[in-house]
Amino acid sequence: MVGESARSGRLLLAPIAVLYLIALIAPISFFLVMSVFRYSALELWVPTVTGENFARLLGEPYHRAIIVRTLKIALLTTVGCLGLGYPLAWYLARTASVWRGLLMFLVIAPLMTGVIVRTYGWIVLLGSEGTVNTILRGLGLVDRPLKILHTELAVVIALVHILLPYMVFPLFAALAGQDPDLERAAHTLGAGPARTFLEVTLPLSRPGILMGSALVFTLTAGAVVTPALMGGKDVQMLGQTIYELTMSTLNWPLASAVAFVLVLCQLAILLVYFRIGRGRAA
Amino acid sequence: MPPDAPVAAAAIERQAPVVAPAAGRAGRLALGVAVTAIYVFLLAPVAIIVFSSFNPTEANTFPPTGFSLRWYAKFLDSAGFVAAFRFSLWLAVVAAVAATAIGFLTAHGLVRYWSRGRGILQSLAMLPMMVPHLLISISLLLALMVVPVPELAALIVGHVLICLPFAIACIVASLEGVDAQLELAALTLGASRLRALWEVVIPLVAPGLLSALLFTFMVSFGDVYIALFLSGPGRTTLPIEIFAYMQWESTPVVAAITSIQILLIIGLGLLIERLVGLRTIMRV
Repeated sequence: MVGESARSGRLLLAPIAVLYLIALIAPISFFLVMSVFRYSALELWVPTVTGENFARLLGEPYHRAIIVRTLKIALLTTVGCLGLGYPLAWYLARTASVWRGLLMFLVIAPLMTGVIVRTYGWIVLLGSEGTVNTILRGLGLVDRPLKILHTELAVVIALVHILLPYMVFPLFAALAGQDPDLERAAHTLGAGPARTFLEVTLPLSRPGILMGSALVFTLTAGAVVTPALMGGKDVQMLGQTIYELTMSTLNWPLASAVAFVLVLCQLAILLVYFRIGRGRAA
Repeated sequence: MPPDAPVAAAAIERQAPVVAPAAGRAGRLALGVAVTAIYVFLLAPVAIIVFSSFNPTEANTFPPTGFSLRWYAKFLDSAGFVAAFRFSLWLAVVAAVAATAIGFLTAHGLVRYWSRGRGILQSLAMLPMMVPHLLISISLLLALMVVPVPELAALIVGHVLICLPFAIACIVASLEGVDAQLELAALTLGASRLRALWEVVIPLVAPGLLSALLFTFMVSFGDVYIALFLSGPGRTTLPIEIFAYMQWESTPVVAAITSIQILLIIGLGLLIERLVGLRTIMRV
């Protein structure tokens, strides 16, 4: 029975294992290996080991600026999501409101409408003829429309909006999983609200903070559509560089090197996540 | 996903939500204001789209200067948008069915047969959510250059990949609520494994399966990254058609299309909420 049960268990996981191996792990591995191939205008790539793609990527000021900008926007977006996501997740995890179900739905609902829909909404809001500028001019705060669209700020605002649910999920799980008696105990022992939060609630929610930040940082670093529409030509990020290199320049090895840098950033973050997470558990 | 998620979920079920007694009155007021502001931030871009879709003028002005359905009419007149809308619907149905089927097998295997290694395996199953979709898509495009597979197949596979984590999350949540003894009883009474699955397990997790179908449909329908690299002439999804259009101009016809999409999504979302409750999925 035990043997048969183990076989059933393996059999049920076979489809997803085959799919992930063939369509996810193998292609991504191949794509990343290409970062050490030589670019050739004629054959697209020559499978010889070279470091020229990375040298170009890290050596040219143009590419370095894009890497720095991407990291900056990813960091700002992560901080923004954390700043907005934490109070929201805390509220959702602690509230006794009858509207709780609906409020949760409203957090998830924007996630479902897709990136294009939400980015378009921000274009309508932030454009020079947009709602924000209309209101500012109506109030007499500015006489000429502010240039918000096609700036880094616009990209960060839209990305925070799009990625906020990814921050709220793990934070909510971490906060809702806490024993409410701990906060009560801290209160009984004489700690004020601020101290209770800083010394009990916040440290206990660290896994959620790390998980959410890792997710948001990664997803921002790989964004293409939102930076393209909100930032225009002036605010190019790594994702757009990869898109252009593969779709118009057809320099796959260099595109792969760019992606490699992205993946390295992600791995570094995951490493931090597991080290801090482990450190806590032990 | 957080390894302590099931524990978190169990804790929610066990205890009624408690407002921290430590939160003072001023603190609570500040929190209320902050949370309201965050909800305004979350919903404003969606609300503004719906408003501007009924705007009679070309410019995306707010407040609207009147009420008109001309942008909806223009959408229906545009062959490109209508074709893309249809293709997106078709693709989303195919991807949702495939992802739900594979997701059911995976979830069932994880919940019933892998008690020890489940944590790691379930995290691995969530892999497509952890990898930037851009990377999945571009790697599939590269694979197409090496292995001769129709591009449409790659597009479908890509959508199934990004849908799977959501399908598994829905079905795992649903399976956990089903007593494992029921399946065991069917087996003891002489049913084959397949029959036990078909006649006992599947009817019991039907709400989970349905919500998985709806959820993955939405994921596929809203995707841009997979389709960005893998769509082509005659295979353009709606978000890609809109993206291409928006790079040149931005008229409220986009608002009309996205309003229809929002309506569709809200309808499906409410349906899921009724079926299993979105909260069970959120704890993934």
